[in-house]
Amino acid sequence: MITVEGRVQRSSMGMGTWALVTPDGTTYEILKGAPQELLQPDLAVRVTGIVRSDVMTMAMIGPVLDVQQFELLPP
Amino acid sequence: MRRLGLIGLLMIGLIWVLSSLPGLAHRGVFDSIVLDFREDLSIAQVEQQIQQLQQQYGVQAQPNSAFSASDRLYVVPGDAQLLRQLRRSDLRKQVEAIDANYTFQAFEVPNDPEYSKQWNLRNINIEPAWDETKGAGVTVAVIDTGITQVPDLKNTEFVAGYDFVNNRADANDDNGHGTHVAGTIAQSTNNGYGVAGIAYAAKLMPLKVLSALGGGTVADIAEAIRFAADHDADVINLSLGGFGDTHVLKEAIDDAHRKGVVIVAAAGNSNANAAAFPARYANVIAVAALDATGSKTPYSNFGAGVDLAAPGGVLHRDDQGQARGSGGILQETIDPESGQSQFVALQGTSMAAPHVAGVAALVKSIGIQEPQQVATVLQQSAQKVQDDPLNHFGAGRLDATAAVTLAQRENLDVKDFWRWLRNNGYLNLRFWIDGGATAFLPKLAMVLGSYLLAWFLRHYIPMGSLALGSGLVTGSAGLWFLRGFYIFDLPQFPFRILGSSIPELGGAIQGSALLHPFFASVLIPFGLIALLLGHPAWKWFAVGSSLGVAASLAISAAIDPAMLWLGSGALAQGFLLVNALLCFGLGSLAAKAAARSEA
Repeated sequence: MITVEGRVQRSSMGMGTWALVTPDGTTYEILKGAPQELLQPDLAVRVTGIVRSDVMTMAMIGPVLDVQQFELLPP
Repeated sequence: MRRLGLIGLLMIGLIWVLSSLPGLAHRGVFDSIVLDFREDLSIAQVEQQIQQLQQQYGVQAQPNSAFSASDRLYVVPGDAQLLRQLRRSDLRKQVEAIDANYTFQAFEVPNDPEYSKQWNLRNINIEPAWDETKGAGVTVAVIDTGITQVPDLKNTEFVAGYDFVNNRADANDDNGHGTHVAGTIAQSTNNGYGVAGIAYAAKLMPLKVLSALGGGTVADIAEAIRFAADHDADVINLSLGGFGDTHVLKEAIDDAHRKGVVIVAAAGNSNANAAAFPARYANVIAVAALDATGSKTPYSNFGAGVDLAAPGGVLHRDDQGQARGSGGILQETIDPESGQSQFVALQGTSMAAPHVAGVAALVKSIGIQEPQQVATVLQQSAQKVQDDPLNHFGAGRLDATAAVTLAQRENLDVKDFWRWLRNNGYLNLRFWIDGGATAFLPKLAMVLGSYLLAWFLRHYIPMGSLALGSGLVTGSAGLWFLRGFYIFDLPQFPFRILGSSIPELGGAIQGSALLHPFFASVLIPFGLIALLLGHPAWKWFAVGSSLGVAASLAISAAIDPAMLWLGSGALAQGFLLVNALLCFGLGSLAAKAAARSEA
């Protein structure tokens, strides 16, 4: 289980892919099925989740983050 | 009896080639006829003829261009039947020629209306490759979100696949990604609709491992790879990746590789200095993505593990932030919301990998079987990038035509041989007729033999070179159709000499059919090689002539060993055979020396 802070962004790779980009530029691919409230462009969040090394995706933009819980940060 | 068998075999080959060669069997398409009126007719006379044409056949002749009136060159719409009628009519006396107005086409340019938007296919140099193969007989497994048979996949053949996400036989796409990837590999092409695909005569095997949401488990992917290998897939495309190294996936890939399957995977889209899994594994061809200018895309992974680069595209955004299609890869797929088919441009190493999978299918259809050999062909034929310190390109940029050409050099097939004959002028109709039926069959055997000898030495010899081809022909058979030329008031012997191979020269000068022991021996090839081996181009002529003479002497020994002074018995036969062997030995030594001097 890891906790990361960053901004939610839409990715143009694959079909309808969402990314979490940390301030140091690391990109996580948000595993599909995450809550809709999280998936808003430019949303600042702190996310707790699992990096799923058993999952492969078509977008291939970074480690796949299976979101367990999240909280909104001031923008 | 053996001779009869040989002749029979050659006849079968002859009939086959005449019926299968597009250049001879049907000489192209035309829907108009060109009339070249005699220059000495006045414009008024020509117009009178044109009016007659209209009355008689109901066709209106038009000048071919603004310059045509002075050339008297007119075009009338019409088919083969009208062409025959016109050639039999009185019009014949007023014209210099009545010909079919053939439409010429440079290469196989598909008629798909959106083909012009597929910059990616032109970038991989696909059109000349299509002249050789379209991937028939090869099965490509697409391990992805499934494939929906959209209208532009209607003419594409499918084999049974499987849906590992929902565990059912029907592997339809509920996302759009897999159908898009499949389109790059084998979109129905030349169907007057939509866009083109690379190996459009290949079969597709849909294997669904990614859910509608775009992700899938390593377990499903490994099982799909095993399914493909067990169900005779030749190529696997994996436009997917992740960051976990798993034993189960690696083993499935190694097993499939052992079973002869070529495995291609996307390098990944995180702009990282290493390919993702499974692209990173040794038995997988990892593909990085290029933009329309052939540079690395901003997203593509690079560095360790990248084997090859192919178009992946970059979607440009307009002022509103909407992605525009022009820089991406355009194929037909489904809209995941409605399930309706649509043409969409996408970007990614997901789009680059199927380019390589498609060309791998072309290479396999030529007859290269081993996956390692296919990978070598793809890499050696790629356009090298000199300045590539970070390994953005692997072996270079994918080149479909170079790959197919290299694959053919590795593989002698019947088509290859006929192409060689055609390129060297042997498949000209006049050649067959004027060459004379009696001389033709042994001659063909001699040319065929010389080509085979050259093929044995293909690693040293530039097979396509004009000098080599001229040498082979001069040595083996000569331009024998010239022998049939008789022109009034001219001596015939120049044609006889030009129309002779080196071994026949002695007889040609004297007008005798007997072989002269001086010419029908290793002496002239030896002299040619001694003289020409130092010359960069003519040395291949010398090598070719030596091999050609070897073939000619061997065939003469077998069929018709009639020689001056030596008779036509065992003595002549032995003489010819020994000299044939000497010529081949000499030719191969010279070829190796010539190749060394080039290295």
